Amino acid sequence: MPSISSAAPSWRKMQIPRPLQQLFDQFPLQTYEPNHLPERSHHLTSNDLPTLYVFSTDSDARLGLPSFNPGCLKWQTLLRLANLDFRTLPSTNHASPTGSLPFLLPPRTSPTTAPLPIPASNLLAYAQRQQQQQQQQPKTNSTSSTNLDPDLPPRSQAYLSLVNLSLRNAWLYALYLDPAHTALLQRLYIGPSSSSRGVRAALLYQLRRAAAEQIATGAGGKIVSLAPVTSAEGIDEDAVYRLAGEALDALASLLSESGTGWFFGQERPGVFDAALFSYTHLMMEYMPGEGSGGEGAGAALGRMVRDAGDGELARHRERVLKTAWPGWDGYRR
Amino acid sequence: MTASLGFGGSHAANNGSATASTSTERPSNAALTQMLDEHALAPASISSLEVHGATNTRKSLLDHVFKPVLEDTAPAGTTMGQVLDRVTAATKKLTRFDIFKEEGFGVFLSEAPRPESAPPTDRTELDVSIRVKEKSRLVFSAGTDFGNTEGSAYTNAVARNIFGGAETLSVNASAGTRTRSAYNATLSAPVNGNPDLRLSAEALRSVTQKPWASHEEQLTGGNLRLAWLSENNDTHALAYSTVWRQLTGLAATASPTVRADAGDSLKSSITHTFTRDRRDNPMLPQNGYLLRSISELAGWGPLSGDVSFAKTEVEASGALPLLAKSGVSIGGGLRLGLLYPLPLGYSPAGAAQPSRINDRFQLGGPTDVRGFKIGGVGPHDGADAVGGDVFAAGGVNALLPLPRTGPDSPLRLQLFANAGRLVALNSKGTGKEGRGGLAMDSATVFKGVTSAVGELANGLPSLAAGVGLVYAHPVARFELNFSLPLVLRKGEEGRKGLQVGVGINFL
Repeated sequence: MPSISSAAPSWRKMQIPRPLQQLFDQFPLQTYEPNHLPERSHHLTSNDLPTLYVFSTDSDARLGLPSFNPGCLKWQTLLRLANLDFRTLPSTNHASPTGSLPFLLPPRTSPTTAPLPIPASNLLAYAQRQQQQQQQQPKTNSTSSTNLDPDLPPRSQAYLSLVNLSLRNAWLYALYLDPAHTALLQRLYIGPSSSSRGVRAALLYQLRRAAAEQIATGAGGKIVSLAPVTSAEGIDEDAVYRLAGEALDALASLLSESGTGWFFGQERPGVFDAALFSYTHLMMEYMPGEGSGGEGAGAALGRMVRDAGDGELARHRERVLKTAWPGWDGYRR
Repeated sequence: MTASLGFGGSHAANNGSATASTSTERPSNAALTQMLDEHALAPASISSLEVHGATNTRKSLLDHVFKPVLEDTAPAGTTMGQVLDRVTAATKKLTRFDIFKEEGFGVFLSEAPRPESAPPTDRTELDVSIRVKEKSRLVFSAGTDFGNTEGSAYTNAVARNIFGGAETLSVNASAGTRTRSAYNATLSAPVNGNPDLRLSAEALRSVTQKPWASHEEQLTGGNLRLAWLSENNDTHALAYSTVWRQLTGLAATASPTVRADAGDSLKSSITHTFTRDRRDNPMLPQNGYLLRSISELAGWGPLSGDVSFAKTEVEASGALPLLAKSGVSIGGGLRLGLLYPLPLGYSPAGAAQPSRINDRFQLGGPTDVRGFKIGGVGPHDGADAVGGDVFAAGGVNALLPLPRTGPDSPLRLQLFANAGRLVALNSKGTGKEGRGGLAMDSATVFKGVTSAVGELANGLPSLAAGVGLVYAHPVARFELNFSLPLVLRKGEEGRKGLQVGVGINFL
């Protein structure tokens, strides 16, 4: 039978009488080749490379440029550092098996087989597996520029939480709740979803609410009131930025202690470098805090990165960019 | 209270005693019929016309119905028969407002008292008195419902005749096997006092599971709809609707096609539907035919939104009784559909985006092409039915009464064969293949659609045949069929063996 056999329900395990089974096996009498997939599907999902679904614009995704979402950028950077071949496709959280981007879809093995997605939590294991396979093929001269399972000291966890809480909260606050960045937020996240004003307004409201909740529930945010936090009012803005500043200073001094240019004395950039880069890069690119415009604290996240440890983190960002995107000069056209 | 309607003829009626006269001079039906037969050709006119019992109904609404009656019966040559025809037609019109109880209607005629000073005429001056009973203005109900391949439980509140002009507000909440939740509120009102022309506004929100394509769809939107009944009983509706669709809640095994289409889109469209139903019984048609068409234009020109296409679907079905009164009949049906991508907004020659999964057609299932799973016909990505842009489906069936139950029983034995073909538009062979972005220029779209239509006739259609039982309940039709797929395409999901179908609209 050519149709896809899904898991048989329990009653199907009951034996079908043999003559009936023989009759059933005669059908269908004729089976043709499969139908072609629709154009949209054919265009977007038929590729020989694995596809990383990220927040991005169409043109950026085609060129594989950095995503504007820190979570996506971290894994995109790591996969690039690992020198794995993949392409990126702009997408939304709705598409993800976990409810948030990124995720990776392996290529199809035939025109209409559907591969299973790999969520972000399994991407490191995937990258390690791929790297091993590459190393087993001696012909490939693609030397990976990352060390995917280094021995990091236990304190790395503490520093990682500085990135995942303090920097994340500052980024969320600046982008989602600071009205100075409303236009940026709309351009990055709202505009691509729909051209309708009503839908955009609804999405903006939902996004802001979710961001406020995230900041308040993350232990890094200082909770001012006991009521559920659903807007910027419930969050202590100064505390969020102060904690981010302290975190950046701590990370900068950690990096200068390391001496190799990468964290924890590693010879090559790893997961930690990618995680920090995903925030420092976006802060410097989208909130540079240069010139007279945008004097609010939110607009100065990029300046905070530049100033941390005398530019230590800014140089780190440059190094990661050069390693992961060697052919790109850092400007979008 | 009496809603008085002005006066016909040249005489003023004695309004004060109207209520009393109708109850005392009430002729029996037989006597009335006899009197009417005798006087059908006698000249007559209406002196006064009163409506009793329409407590909450605006006078202007009644005027719309009865003014023409008075005007038409005023000329000198009017006969008694004509007067009665007009009054009957007007009361029938009144029932279609759906604000009066059907059993509560009464029409009473009496000869108007003639003032002594008036010159004698040979015309009978009539006082017409119409008694109505209004339906409850507020109705709550709860129950279970059947749609095509889905059962649901609902609660419903209807407020009738809110402003006295037969306006209806209906608020509905339901939860079902497939539509996980749905809320809608509809306000509708007759236009210009005409029960056959209704304007309605609806707001809706729903979450529907689509297991055949591993996702659920959330809809939030509204529509404005003008529906009318033409003179020959065809129904038309013209609607503008705007819906925010969110494709979300993907299953872990969802295919790349569904993942690529996940997210938000706004559809802004105008739709025309036409229905001509000449069947003797919609649940078990044995005689007559049905014609239906749905035409939709989305996103084009001022409509804007996120998707743009023209989409049309036509259906024709009919049944013929064999051997009079035996309950044996044969029937057939045909459905065709086409989706044509258009450039969005104001750019007639601009590039068009190919269709999304929630705009494409699905085909297959117990209510259309039997012998296939729901969405079982057409392009599949893994286990997901991803839909197509062009389809054709047809079926023939014979209905036979079961032995020992007569032709009047709602039970029938059914023999059927049905076939369908659902094809997706793609740029293979249009010269565009694999180049440029996702958008297609108008020439590519045309070539794509043409080749998809041509593909319909490539090989035999996907085909299944079988035998089963049909039970026609007034609410829904139930089918239990045994079928086998005869022809299919790889990836299409046929169903061998038993299949249950519950629905209101079968192919």
